Order: sequence, then structure tokens, then C-alpha cells
Amino acid sequence: MAVELVPRAAVIKQVVDESLDVKSLVFEFADGSELSSLPGQFIEVSIPGVGESTFAVSRLEPGARRFHVSVKRMGHVTKALHRSAAGETAFVRGPYGKPFPVGEWKVKDILIVGGGIGLAPLRPVVDHILANRADYGKLDIVFGARTPGDMIFREDLAAWGNDAGIKLVKTIDVECVDWDGCVGLLPNVVKQQGYRSDGSIAVVCGPPIMIRFTMAALKELGWPDAQVYTTLEMKMQCGIGQCGRCNIGGKYVCKDGPVFRLDQIPASAM
Amino acid sequence: MAGWKQLAKADLPAFLAELAGQAELVVPQEKDGKVRFGPFDRSKPVSFPSSLVDVSLKAVFFPKRRPIARFDSADKAKLEPVAPETGPRIAMGAHPCDVAAVNYVDRVFIHSAFKDPLYEAERNRTTIIGMFCSEMKPECHCTDRELSPDDERGMDAVFADTKDGYLFRAVTDKGTAVLNSALLKDTTEAPEKKDWPKGKYPVSPECVVHSPSSLDSDPFWQDVSDLCLTCGACTFACPTCTCFLVSDEQHDGKGERVIAWDSCQFTGYSRMTGGHNPRKSAAARVRNRMLDKFVFTVEKYGATSCVGCGRCAIICPVGRHFPKEISALSAKAKVR
Repeated sequence: MAVELVPRAAVIKQVVDESLDVKSLVFEFADGSELSSLPGQFIEVSIPGVGESTFAVSRLEPGARRFHVSVKRMGHVTKALHRSAAGETAFVRGPYGKPFPVGEWKVKDILIVGGGIGLAPLRPVVDHILANRADYGKLDIVFGARTPGDMIFREDLAAWGNDAGIKLVKTIDVECVDWDGCVGLLPNVVKQQGYRSDGSIAVVCGPPIMIRFTMAALKELGWPDAQVYTTLEMKMQCGIGQCGRCNIGGKYVCKDGPVFRLDQIPASAM
Repeated sequence: MAGWKQLAKADLPAFLAELAGQAELVVPQEKDGKVRFGPFDRSKPVSFPSSLVDVSLKAVFFPKRRPIARFDSADKAKLEPVAPETGPRIAMGAHPCDVAAVNYVDRVFIHSAFKDPLYEAERNRTTIIGMFCSEMKPECHCTDRELSPDDERGMDAVFADTKDGYLFRAVTDKGTAVLNSALLKDTTEAPEKKDWPKGKYPVSPECVVHSPSSLDSDPFWQDVSDLCLTCGACTFACPTCTCFLVSDEQHDGKGERVIAWDSCQFTGYSRMTGGHNPRKSAAARVRNRMLDKFVFTVEKYGATSCVGCGRCAIICPVGRHFPKEISALSAKAKVR
């Protein structure tokens, strides 16, 4: 039996510049195997001698061989990944964690709220809905970034903006020339837009503080906790419920999450 | 259940030599006044402590540093998994608390969705010849943690130190296989049953059920953490603490991916890359560890994870006394 913590070689097929400090790396396993990830699941990516970090799968291409991670330049591992080029090898294990229950959301309207790099784990949800468009109701996407230069997934944003079936709202934190979207913090924009719960599903991800205030905004708009999902950020390392650091009470974010329905989140997390 | 067999005190060295002939033998060893488990050395006499080996048995199965894969610093496109050890091994002289602790650690690494084959191989290749305690040391409180100094659960074989010699008994088939020496003589004698004292640091079930949310804002957490250095010594001394760090180490052109002990008491343990730290204060980390032992592990594995060895209190450099603290917390919870 293989040691789960020993990853498999994966070749970087493409590097996409997303924003000033975010790059997406497109991988394929060196042995040609598939990544059986579901929207919301994460993987561990490492470079020998540098270290290993946790990343949401930000896209699984049709055929399940090519997968993307979107990396914000922050620490040692992310800096090393930013220096990587197509053709180089990194190491990947996973997928891990509980995915978004997209199967349970059929027929319903979906509201996606992403803040900054928090859009990365949500993009596979959008991809899933677009690939199964007839199964879902209306799709609202709200995406916020600090400045226009921090907007990631520009091609997707353009495509979503042109899709008659999607209502896309983009916002930045402070006013800026040549900006045609909203200005304001995500929780306020969510309130202004007045999204109605009416049996819909809201999916929220971003920095911890943005999640907290967006949850409050949704509550104010009358959203019941059982209709709101998030994917929590905690320091994860093993990804398999053993190393200990991502616990919230008796739950591990890596194993019992990272996707949680708001009414099922351990109280101390919010 | 097999009967007891006697070993004359004078025959101990010969018996140990026999065991060392059939397997790698691990026994308690003294160095600079501290006793820990290590490889048997024929040239050194072995003495089995009457209770509590200073350093727990945990490290025999879950060492403080364990390579899981190797790489060449010049060719980082290859990561070679480390093969599990398979040769037979005997670990002798661990007391009931330590054996119970290893059985708890099994829940994390074996009875888990992702089994750790390296840990499991260490468990499978090892026969545990445990030992009854003949006394309880000042900080011992296993009797308050559903154990006793003569509890043989989890052992493959057990022995007791008596006035006239040692009494051995097999508990499992693995244990029977290592007790086949001609030096062991059948006997009708059995270790003396003692009435062990209880109640030193009791923890009530009410604590386990009620303490987490109802005591969250209690000044208790600040009180107990005021002196804490968050040095992590208690977590390293604890036979059931299993938190680890995965990291890469490189020396002389060779690299290893290593699993090393980590501690939930360290400031940076749960700090995320962006700087957000859900357990920034010492009080939050102390609370996390105390409740983990008695509440969270019940949720995760259906069992509390303190075996009452008292090592956390013995090792603490500022005299924090975890067993007294958890007992006080439990009493508080009971009152509410």
C-alpha cells in the first residue's frame, strides 16, 4: 500500500498569468492518470526541497487529466511555484476533502460570491453548472478584488459576462479610473444587490473576514443558514486528518470540510 | 488465557539474549538519569523501572523524525518512497499507560480513512511484552483514566517483577510466540492483586459532555495559560500526542521528505500564509489541547486520549499541572 503522504509526479503543462500576484498552473500527472476531483476539493502540491502547500483545484478540464491550481504569491512554496515553467515537474497528492454537494442543488438558483483568490475553489462549481446548464436555475456571480489588477480569471469573467444565463457583478474596493463595475466591499455589494434567498443556494469563499461579513449580509437579506455554503480556510498540511493543525473543535477542515453548510459549521469557526 | 510462567532473576540476561537472537529487541535504557526505550545492548545491564519510563513508548512506533521519501537535490523530478521496515521486533517493558497510548495512536494512523502503512508496519512487526507497574509514582493517575497499573489490554504478553523473579504470561498469539524459552518455567504463582488508589485527578463524564461551549469564555483559560511558555514540551512528552509537520530536509546533495513531531502549542502551528491565526493567544492553544484530550478526540475517535501518565506535569518547566487543571475544569463543568 502506498504511503498517502508521498505524492505523484505531475508535469506543468502551462502557466497562466492571472493577475499581479496570481498564476494558474495547469498540471497533468506524469503517469497519465486522472485526477478524480469534485468541485470544492483540494490537493497538496509540492516541490522537493521547498515544501508542500494546500491548493483548491481551480479547474478540472474535461477528460479529468488536466487540472489547474491558482497560486497567489505569498510564501516559499507559492514563490517557487511562480518561478516554475511549463515542462517542469512538481508533485501532487489528493484530491482531498468534502466537495460542494452540487448534485443536491439541481433545479435551484445559485449565487456565487468570491473574494480575491477565494474565487479559485468556486470556479469548478461554475464550470459544473455551465456543463450541466439545464439542471440548474439562474446563476448569479459576484466577484470582488482589491483593484482591477487583482482580478483573476479574466477570460472566464469575460465569458461569464457575455453569457445571457449568468448575471455577473464585479466589484473593487476603491474607485479607479476606467473601471466599469461596482465599487465597494463584497458584503455591501451583496446587500445592495439584494439577492433573495427563495430556496436558492449561496456559495461564498474569500478571506476569513470577507466570509464573516458576507455571511452577516446574507443573514440580513433573510438567507437561512441551510442554504449557504462556504469553504473554510485553515492551515492544512497532511490533508488526511492526521497532522492535527486544521481542527475546529472535534472537526478537521481537511477531512470534514473544507466545504461546510453554514448551519453545520462548528460555532467557533465564525 | 495462558497461565503464568516464572523466570529466575539470574536468568534475565540469558532470556533477553534469547529474545535479541530472534528479533530486534527494544528495552528501557538509562542515560544521564533518564530512562527511555532503545535497542538492547548485550554489554549493558537492563533494569525495568517499577513504573513509568521517563520517555514514552510512542517514539518506538512514531519517531520524532521519520523520512517518508527521498530525492536527489540535483534531480528534483523524482521522489522515492521509503520502504517500510519488516524485520521482527520486540518492545519489552512498557507499562499499561504507554501501551494504552499506542493503542490510541492506532486510531489516528491505522483505523483512519487514510492508513499510514509505515506506522502500521512498525506496529505489525513489533510484539509488545508489557509490564505491570509495582507502584504508582507521585504523578501517576492511570486509575482515574479507566486504566490500572496491572492492565494488560493492548499488550501481546505481560510480565511482573516479583520478589522471587519475573512472572510472564502471553496475552495474544504473537505474545505466545515469544514466550517459548526453556528458561520460563510453569508455575501456579500469579502476580499479587493490589487495590490501587484512585481519585488523584478525576475527570467527570460531565466535563467531557459539557465543557466546550459552556466554558468558552471562562477566565479559567487565561489563568492556566498565564505562565505557559507554549514550548510544546507537554505535547512531546505526551504518549498520545500525534501532531506532525511534513517538511523537506537537504544535506550534501541528498534530500528527504520527513514527518516530524509538531506541537499545537506553538504560535505558528495554525497560522496561515496570509497571517490569519485562529489560535493566536496562548489561552486559545492551551484550551485547544486540553479539550482535545477529553472532548475533541471523543468526537473524532470515540475515546478520550489521556492515559494518566502525568508526564506533562513532570516535564513542564513552569510547573503547569495539566492533570490538576483538567480535574479543576471538570469540577467546574459539573457545578454548572
